[in-house]
Amino acid sequence: MDLLLYGLDLLVFIGIFGILAISLNLEFGFSGLANFGKVAFFLVGAYTYALLSQIGLPFYLCLIAGALVAAIFGLLISLPALRLRADYLAIVVLAFGEILRLIVKSEDWLAGGDWGLSVSPAISITGVSPRVDLLVNIALVFSCLLICFVVAQLLSNSPYGRVIRAIREDEVAAEALGKNRAKYKAQIFMLGSAMAGLAGGLYAQYLQAIVPMLFLPIITFTIWIMVLVGGPANNWGVLVGAALVEIFERGANIAKDYIALPIDPSNLQYILFGVLILLVLFYRPQGLFKESPIKTRALEVVRHAREQVKGEGG
Amino acid sequence: MPEEELLKIEELSKHFGGVYAVRGVSLDVRKGGIWGLVGPNGSGKSTLFNTILGLYRPDGGCIYFNGRKINNLSSHQIYGLGIVNSFQVPRLFFQMSVMDNMLVAARGHQGDGLFNSLFLRGGWQNQERDLIDRALGLIELVELDKLVFAPAGELSGGQRKLLELARGLMAKPRLLLLDEPAAGINPVVGKKIFQKLQSLSKNGTTFFVVEHRLEILFNFASWVYVMDRGKMVTQGQPEKIIDDPAFYQAYLGAE
Ligand SMILES: Nc1ncnc2c1ncn2[C@@H]1O[C@H](COP(=O)(O)OP(=O)(O)OP(=O)(O)O)[C@@H](O)[C@H]1O
Ligand SMILES: [Mg+2]
Repeated sequence: MDLLLYGLDLLVFIGIFGILAISLNLEFGFSGLANFGKVAFFLVGAYTYALLSQIGLPFYLCLIAGALVAAIFGLLISLPALRLRADYLAIVVLAFGEILRLIVKSEDWLAGGDWGLSVSPAISITGVSPRVDLLVNIALVFSCLLICFVVAQLLSNSPYGRVIRAIREDEVAAEALGKNRAKYKAQIFMLGSAMAGLAGGLYAQYLQAIVPMLFLPIITFTIWIMVLVGGPANNWGVLVGAALVEIFERGANIAKDYIALPIDPSNLQYILFGVLILLVLFYRPQGLFKESPIKTRALEVVRHAREQVKGEGG
Repeated sequence: MPEEELLKIEELSKHFGGVYAVRGVSLDVRKGGIWGLVGPNGSGKSTLFNTILGLYRPDGGCIYFNGRKINNLSSHQIYGLGIVNSFQVPRLFFQMSVMDNMLVAARGHQGDGLFNSLFLRGGWQNQERDLIDRALGLIELVELDKLVFAPAGELSGGQRKLLELARGLMAKPRLLLLDEPAAGINPVVGKKIFQKLQSLSKNGTTFFVVEHRLEILFNFASWVYVMDRGKMVTQGQPEKIIDDPAFYQAYLGAE
């Protein structure tokens, strides 16, 4: 039975990190925005959720609020940061994440400091088994993942998706073709942050207690690996990446209890992460899945017709 | 009937550190026809185009389009007014297909907006079909019809120039700045393209063309400007320009 619980718990994590990977994929994979501060928006969502649930708001409102507040933070940080060059943007958001964590850590009155905040369960039925509780969370997490996934798919297969890819490829040329890059980047940053905030809310809800320690920069790093391994600009790919990395992380965690190592075993995971990244960079630099081409109904019709002509000709 | 003034440049200057790329250039482009801009390498032609386009801020002088000062507009706004550029070194979206490169340039695609792309999918799908049809026509013109869904990064140097040009036409410009459209292009296609430009120029598009292949340009242009070392040295009808000593001076150079 323990094993089942373990598997269900893993599934919740895959779902939550799947949302984070989808959101970073929108920003980095499709739009080329190197957001090295993902954890900041995850944190904002989690703390918003926790604070609002403590004053008795129902869970769905807490989730929505978490996403909205994270989106606002995303907009605020994107305004100055997007004017900067891409590498400055990376540094600004990276610092932002750490600053936020230090704030919630030190402001006891607001966020409980090191002790963090406790969260009441979304649907409290007294006396339910942990398995039922897990299933409720899985349903919640995967509904949210589905929404984010569908939004990301619709966007990437639309003229909008074409524009953000163009901005990623050459923002000067895209701007000269009438695309207001600042506007597009701000929108994507907001949307990505909203998704990360949603994931944060789900995380708080699932753990029922959050502490600053949960929001170290390693979270950002993990999401990046998911996207790079799975394949940037491929929504299915990054989901697979999220699942693989989560399973890998668990595996490394279990393994270190059984294998005697000449190093501090808690570092094993990081070492394996490093190896994984190197393997991907060497053997499949584009990730496991290739960028998915833009598909719209009209494009598919033409593509199909051309393939048929080609087939007859050859 | 006086021809309508489209682009007016007054005393425009642009320098990069100590390099004075454009020095006090003035010119007019009136509606319709093909306008030429020639001059030796490094005389400031591309810099002039990029400044018109809003990619560089001028250090002095004024640019007017349809009577409106456009110096301080960003380049997406300048596109909005109808000025489109085709770069000397193609700036394609290399991981995207030839067709997607074309469609990015389309003007007023409803699906370009965040909300519409998600919630009004029916609306822009039909528009997209029409745009694809138009794009296919232009792709055929530049003889890339076998490569419609190939990534732009797989095109040869000449094909990239052709796509860059077709993409500019896709944007339905009022004024299209073409920076050496015939460079690296086979002469037959080059001529065909200029013929197409000429026919388009009778339907409301104006072309301002930088070209080193003078024999092609002078056949089609109605007026030619000559730049040398950042300055406008002479201008006139092509048949007059070829007899102009200032033109020879610019090209053969005073040592
Ligand atoms: N971004 C830049 N930074 C510094 N110098 C530049 C820049 N762009 C152009 N220049 C300089 O400005 C001068 C004019 O360059 P420009 O590209 O406008 O010439 P051009 O007339 O287009 O030449 P070509 O016919 O070879 O394309 C050159 O001396 C060039 O070195
Ligand atoms: Mg040039």
